[in-house]
Amino acid sequence: MKSRTSYLVYFLILKNLQLKYKHSILGFVWSFLHPLFYLLVFNFVFSKAFSQIQHYSLFVISGLIFWIYFSGSCNSLSQTFIRNAQLLKSLNVNKILYPISEQGAELVSFLSGFLLFAFLMLYLGMTINISFLWIIPIILLFTIFSFSLGLILGSLNVFFRDIGILWNTLNPALFYLSPIAFSIDIIPKEYQFYFKLNPLYHFFFIIRNVLYEGTAPSYIQLFYCLLITILTLLLALFVYRKTRNGFISNL
Amino acid sequence: MVLFQICNMMNVAIELKDVSVSYLHNKKGIYSVKDFFTKGGLVSPFDKKVVLKDINLKIFEGESLGILGKNGEGKSTLLRTIAGIMKPDKGECIVNVEISPLLALGVGLELELTGLENIKIYMALSGRYSRNSIKKDIDAIADFSELSIEQLKLPIKMYSTGMLSRLAFSTVMTTEPKLLMIDEVLAVGDKGFQEKCKKRIHQIKNSGTTILFVSHNPDEVLEVCERGICLRDGRIIYDGTSNGAVNEYNKLFA
Repeated sequence: MKSRTSYLVYFLILKNLQLKYKHSILGFVWSFLHPLFYLLVFNFVFSKAFSQIQHYSLFVISGLIFWIYFSGSCNSLSQTFIRNAQLLKSLNVNKILYPISEQGAELVSFLSGFLLFAFLMLYLGMTINISFLWIIPIILLFTIFSFSLGLILGSLNVFFRDIGILWNTLNPALFYLSPIAFSIDIIPKEYQFYFKLNPLYHFFFIIRNVLYEGTAPSYIQLFYCLLITILTLLLALFVYRKTRNGFISNL
Repeated sequence: MVLFQICNMMNVAIELKDVSVSYLHNKKGIYSVKDFFTKGGLVSPFDKKVVLKDINLKIFEGESLGILGKNGEGKSTLLRTIAGIMKPDKGECIVNVEISPLLALGVGLELELTGLENIKIYMALSGRYSRNSIKKDIDAIADFSELSIEQLKLPIKMYSTGMLSRLAFSTVMTTEPKLLMIDEVLAVGDKGFQEKCKKRIHQIKNSGTTILFVSHNPDEVLEVCERGICLRDGRIIYDGTSNGAVNEYNKLFA
């Protein structure tokens, strides 16, 4: 039974990856070109405005690749049950395997993109030292966080299709609140607190610690992220368990 | 009496005891967050609509059971309950055999992917994938479907309807399940292929597989099944020979 489940997840990941790049000439290269294009735009628009940020390109790209991973995951997970409606109605397998394999496909394409970007970031001035290894647990936490949020969106989206639309609308706002394109230091002190209410802020803080500053993240920040991840995961499992029996009736 | 004794000797494959199944029914028309607040979704967003009521059914190993009834009377829900996809609100559903997971034809086919890719995904979905047998299984499926290797390498969105059903049907028909559930899928392909499918179903049946067969075509039911049930309003109104069930079914339209 265990091997059956792992085979199933493996094949669903494979299928999701195949579907993602089918019929695009550049295929996988897009996962590299997409952030690169954003980087060029930000460099052009903001590098003068935020000239106090050293190595502005590195600053942007380190946040940007994680942001694209995050928003891509949430986007596809929010649709996962709807897209697999037919399978849900006909196969007696654990429904949570669909979002898991969706997240798996996103993770595979993120990691392969990340390897390429590591070279670009080295060129842009990233320093490699032992603290770089912190990126591994950070990616793990970030993946679980994205998965949890996506699972909540996906479960609710079955019942109210405007959850997906609402998410797409809020997405750009979250991008600027996280903040990806600028540093929180340019925000007046009295408003910084509100930025810190955004869970993503804490993730991008430790990501920048490692990739941009080349230092290990502080334990207190790591603890915040761990706490956020666990709480979101628990909430997601709660929402999923409450709603899963209604999926078939509403798809 | 004799029949009864024979039945007692056979093993029960599936047993449903007072099973009731319901759908969550969105009666208030709540489809958005706005509706949720304006139409009182906070109190109770969904109502239950009972689809199957107090079903009592014993299916024996090796039996082939035809399930008849108008659209929306609960036939597919009955199969879903037996497959474990829907949970009964009340009662018990005991399944003692291994189930083939297929309920309807063409489930899980991805139009963008090729026939071969789809076969592999289907095998993984139905839990039949193993490295040793994959080549043999693909050959068997390709052989049964009579699709050429060139055709199998095309994305299936380029297939005709007939080719699609050939592919879907072949993936199911080449298995040797202990319990086969067929949901209105026989009328596929051209005449030759239909004959082939019927032949294959008889072959599966003779090997001792339990068959649950949902169809709107009485002739097919008579051909495949000895026993039949007829559903109306979520209740079994007839349980007996397939001839009797077909008579009862025809009466629904009289």
